[in-house]
Amino acid sequence: MKKKVISMILGTAMIAGVLAGCGGTQEAAPAAGGEEAAPAESGEEASAAEAGEEAAAQTEGPVTLTVLAGQSTTDAGIEDMIDEALAEQYPDITLEWECVGWDGEFHPKMQQYLQSGLPDIIIGKAQDVATYQAQGALAPIDTAYLDRGLDAARENVTFDGSTYGLVYNAQYQGVYYNRAMFEENGWEVPKTQEELQAIIDDCKAKGIIPFASHMVDTWSIGNVTMQFMMNDVFNKTPDWGDKFRAGEVSFSEDKAAQTAYQYNKLIYDNTYPETFSTEQTDCDARMVLGEAAMKVSGDWSIQNFLDIDENFDFGIFPFPNQTGDSKLIFEPNIAIMTSATTEHQDAVNCVLDVLSGNKDLAVEICNYTKTATMLKDVSPTWVNPCQSDVDKYAADGMVVDVTLGNNQLVWGGFQEENAMDIAAWLQGDESFEDALAASDGRVDASSAN
Amino acid sequence: MKKKNRNSMEKNMEKQYLVLVLPGLIIFTIGLIIPLLLAFRYSFTSWDGLSAEKPFAGLQNYINLFRDSDFRNAWWFTFKFTIGNTIIQNVLALVFAVALDSGIKAQKLYRTALFVPCLISAVIVGFVWLKLFSNVLPAINDLLGTNINFLLFGESKTVLSGLLIANNWQWIGYWMLIYLAGLQSIPAELYEAAKVDGANAWTRFFNVTIPMLAPAITICVVGITTGSLKVYDLLVSSTGGGPGRSSVSVIYQTYATAISGRQYGYGSAMSVSLVVVLLLVALIQVKGLKSREVQQ
Repeated sequence: MKKKVISMILGTAMIAGVLAGCGGTQEAAPAAGGEEAAPAESGEEASAAEAGEEAAAQTEGPVTLTVLAGQSTTDAGIEDMIDEALAEQYPDITLEWECVGWDGEFHPKMQQYLQSGLPDIIIGKAQDVATYQAQGALAPIDTAYLDRGLDAARENVTFDGSTYGLVYNAQYQGVYYNRAMFEENGWEVPKTQEELQAIIDDCKAKGIIPFASHMVDTWSIGNVTMQFMMNDVFNKTPDWGDKFRAGEVSFSEDKAAQTAYQYNKLIYDNTYPETFSTEQTDCDARMVLGEAAMKVSGDWSIQNFLDIDENFDFGIFPFPNQTGDSKLIFEPNIAIMTSATTEHQDAVNCVLDVLSGNKDLAVEICNYTKTATMLKDVSPTWVNPCQSDVDKYAADGMVVDVTLGNNQLVWGGFQEENAMDIAAWLQGDESFEDALAASDGRVDASSAN
Repeated sequence: MKKKNRNSMEKNMEKQYLVLVLPGLIIFTIGLIIPLLLAFRYSFTSWDGLSAEKPFAGLQNYINLFRDSDFRNAWWFTFKFTIGNTIIQNVLALVFAVALDSGIKAQKLYRTALFVPCLISAVIVGFVWLKLFSNVLPAINDLLGTNINFLLFGESKTVLSGLLIANNWQWIGYWMLIYLAGLQSIPAELYEAAKVDGANAWTRFFNVTIPMLAPAITICVVGITTGSLKVYDLLVSSTGGGPGRSSVSVIYQTYATAISGRQYGYGSAMSVSLVVVLLLVALIQVKGLKSREVQQ
């Protein structure tokens, strides 16, 4: 009898321990986050915490989840941070990571896994959600976790009322400029092409290279072209990609799209002569050292800038368009997706609980990647020299989500191929008309669906 | 009775051969034959590589191949790269082999130095030469006050030269060893007899060395040609197919189309065309070169 009582007490204590362990740490995590600990648990947070507890309670024994992470260079290393946080909150869950480069390897891996079975968790970019949800490969994310994120995070990852990606962080893209150089030369942030041209002319007169660029990386051409397309094309015609597929517009006929392509020539004519042999690190270093005044890029350059000189003072402005109303580009970056066929949905939910609920982890990741968070009540502590500019554009409503363009004109097979033709045109191997016609010829590959 | 025994012995031998061949055959079938047949099948579909459906497209993919200027450009680059490699690598490998076979000092050191690069992965070789052309050599330029254009990967006009330098640097040592082995197996009496007949060094080289090296030449020419036609990894880490499209090879284009471009069916048609060309080239070369070989 005694044995039965003792075993019952032990059993009850174990179950209570597991429940308390999963739920307790969930509440304890923000407390370790210093300033983030103060706010009382909101209704959304409470429901998410409950969801986490529920998921954890249903997780039996140790579980290993497979994760495919398509990473940018700035993201490499965050997997260790996630592992550490997960081990604290849910020690029974282990992640088996497969980290690959987003640009070259992520999509081939996904193609392979779509045939052989997807990993439990997929980490890519927000623009990937459209591609893979269309294949029925992704499971909708529970609103309990989504509610911990900013509303803006859901916009372009929601399809037919269901949200298939938990957008974790975001980056801004535009023209980074050497603030000290601008002040010394009395240059104002340009809003129009004429103002930009005046700065370029002055740069040249003073022996300063107007733009830093590394066109050896074709992706950088593709990236800036989409920035140009956003402000000259999509801001005016938000469904330009759909119209392109419907045959209503084309690169060969649309002046705005042609202008967006032509901006590449403006950069090429005003950058390092050896841009097709200059790698990103060298390019960024030369800008930090004062050789160049501006660089059309994204937050991934910030990591380089600050690694080279932590005191480098820079700002950001949107690349001026033809109408002088350019917006700063905002790109939801890391997006967590989950497999529609996972056998461990409860454990997957625990991971989502950690990712969306652990504010210390969110701060650590944003500080490391030098990006902005997409979670509520999280304030990264790294000092972003261009934050004041970002805040100003955000306050003025002059920020646009590039996922709009990326969802309509996909990267793989379209944007990256177009970038090769643009490079060939800049090198004089193709005519401008041929580059435009090549983009038109790829219309069938322009959509994820 | 004897005949019966011999028959059963032959059957046993056949079984043994079969058992010995079987593991290799299974691996070859799974790793090569089945994917090849699958690629052939997919080449008649418009499959995107993602969805479950593989819509039949007939010969459309093959018709599109002839209209695709990117694919034609990829073939043109691959062709130039292959011709360049086949000539340079064979000539230089043979020259180095003859030099090393002549009994020069520190022969082992030279042999090792020339052979080591082929032990390095082509991806690493690509990175090494990218850095050399972009950073190291221009820095030496600055140091010496010279103005030599080392930015070979940065211009479409010079990228092929840069890639040929990188590829030949990697592989010359490998083919040199094959020529060296061939040279060392040529009987000395042949040279002595030629000398007695009054043949000078050039005559001995063209009338004794080259004919006796014919089997090695066959191996090297076929190996270099087929290897160059399949170039991919070197390009990925060095030029990325650029600048523009100036160094996109057939395999690079196939990968970009099938995987990144989600046109698996069309990409399969590209790969089938490459296999056909590879088989044809190898067949013609082996037939042509074998007929010139001299039996010892």
